Amino acid sequence: MTRTAHIVALSLGTLIALATLHAQGPASSTYDREKKVKLEGPVTSLDWVNPHAFLFMDVRETTGTVTNWAVEIGNPLDLEKEGWKGSTLHPGDVVSVEAMPARGQKKQAAALSVTLKATGRRVFAPAAKKAAAPVAAPAPRWPNGHVKLGTAPGKKGYWGTTSAVLMVEDSSAKISMNDEGLLASLADVDRVAPFKPWAKAVYQFRQRSLLIDDPIRACVPPGGPRQFQTPHGFQFIEQPELGRILVLLGGGDRNWRVIYTDGRPQGQAAEVVATYFGNSIGKWEGDTLIVDSIGFNERFWFSNGGLPHTEALHLVERFTRTDMNTLKYEVTVDDPRTYTRPWKASWTIQWVPDEEIPEYFCEENAESTFIR
Amino acid sequence: MVLSLFFVAAAAPAQQGHPLTGTWIGDWGPNATQRTHLTFVLTWDGDKVSGTINPGPDAIALGNVAVNVTNWTIRFEADTKDKSGSPVHISAEGRVENLGSAHRTIAGSWRQGTTTGDFKITRD
Repeated sequence: MTRTAHIVALSLGTLIALATLHAQGPASSTYDREKKVKLEGPVTSLDWVNPHAFLFMDVRETTGTVTNWAVEIGNPLDLEKEGWKGSTLHPGDVVSVEAMPARGQKKQAAALSVTLKATGRRVFAPAAKKAAAPVAAPAPRWPNGHVKLGTAPGKKGYWGTTSAVLMVEDSSAKISMNDEGLLASLADVDRVAPFKPWAKAVYQFRQRSLLIDDPIRACVPPGGPRQFQTPHGFQFIEQPELGRILVLLGGGDRNWRVIYTDGRPQGQAAEVVATYFGNSIGKWEGDTLIVDSIGFNERFWFSNGGLPHTEALHLVERFTRTDMNTLKYEVTVDDPRTYTRPWKASWTIQWVPDEEIPEYFCEENAESTFIR
Repeated sequence: MVLSLFFVAAAAPAQQGHPLTGTWIGDWGPNATQRTHLTFVLTWDGDKVSGTINPGPDAIALGNVAVNVTNWTIRFEADTKDKSGSPVHISAEGRVENLGSAHRTIAGSWRQGTTTGDFKITRD
């Protein structure tokens, strides 16, 4: 039985959320989350690289043919947090794997569990979300009374878990979507945002194609509100003496964004060189930082789920740290070439205390892009 | 140097805004051997698509451009002159293919004066 494997396709009644699988783009376009396969056989190699580590294993099909499967096991950063290492498995170790199969005929799957056959020890299972609540405290402040958006002196921390990984208009009733932004029903499309007809058609096309064209899969930066909904969080570095606030992003490709707070006026859209993060001007109103941004290029999706935009995109973001551990984010989207009127979305982001942003780099796996 | 520039260009991310915006390159003709080069520059202002065929001294401004976003068909008309200076009317109808691709295409039928044929242009 050591090289024997059974491959059983099952229907999973519920969707299984694996945040690690879409650390760099939607997994639904690659894997069929409603099916399950069981694989058994010896490990042939391990590919321990960002954004997705893979183990390769020989599997004997029911026909008797042995094929080499690529099994995605998630992001190395998350795996290491769970105690995994590149040396946890060795070539020749026989493992039993439960996984979601890739769409089509590829011999590829995303692991739900990996068990070492010799010992029965489960060496991999999806990471459970950490539930430990940080200690409650008021928001830290600068000597002049302004709320600090970053860490208190001598402390570590960053902004991590978001209350929503999707972006829909605030006034909408609850819309059923998966955690990648795929609508349960395309009939709900008009409740997502006030699309112009072309934008609605493009959004529907992206939804129907399971977000497979998402530029973030090619390590394109998560511009706009998406930067506050990507895995691995972000951090504010406030530099009042330089009249600016830097936003350092843990997701994407460790990008940064500059918010000028030195009182300079916002430029005209036509004068600004279009970029992924736009030209951002910030000012404080009480404990809220209000940031006005224009000058976006059209090379990225500004949200999970595929909301389109044009170079006319104008964002007004409001950041309010309501206490030590909570950041309220509100954004007004105004793009008259894409939407029939301005619209708002909001969510909260939780502080991750005593840790730095993990060192994540978006890379294109040589092995994850193959066709088997 | 040339090689590295090629790779930079090849890796440029796709334009993700209005699918028709940008520069498109291709040709039209009555058959496979008689082809005439086309460069389209199209823009979207929030209300309508407009643009130019073959920008430069012989540029042709697009007239009516009608887009049906339910099936991504596009119809347009333009007026130009032939080699003798006589006015010639252009009308064409095509469909956008591979909507999510950086190098999506528009292909369809082309009529210029009394000559009919086909055209295909690819997003640059």
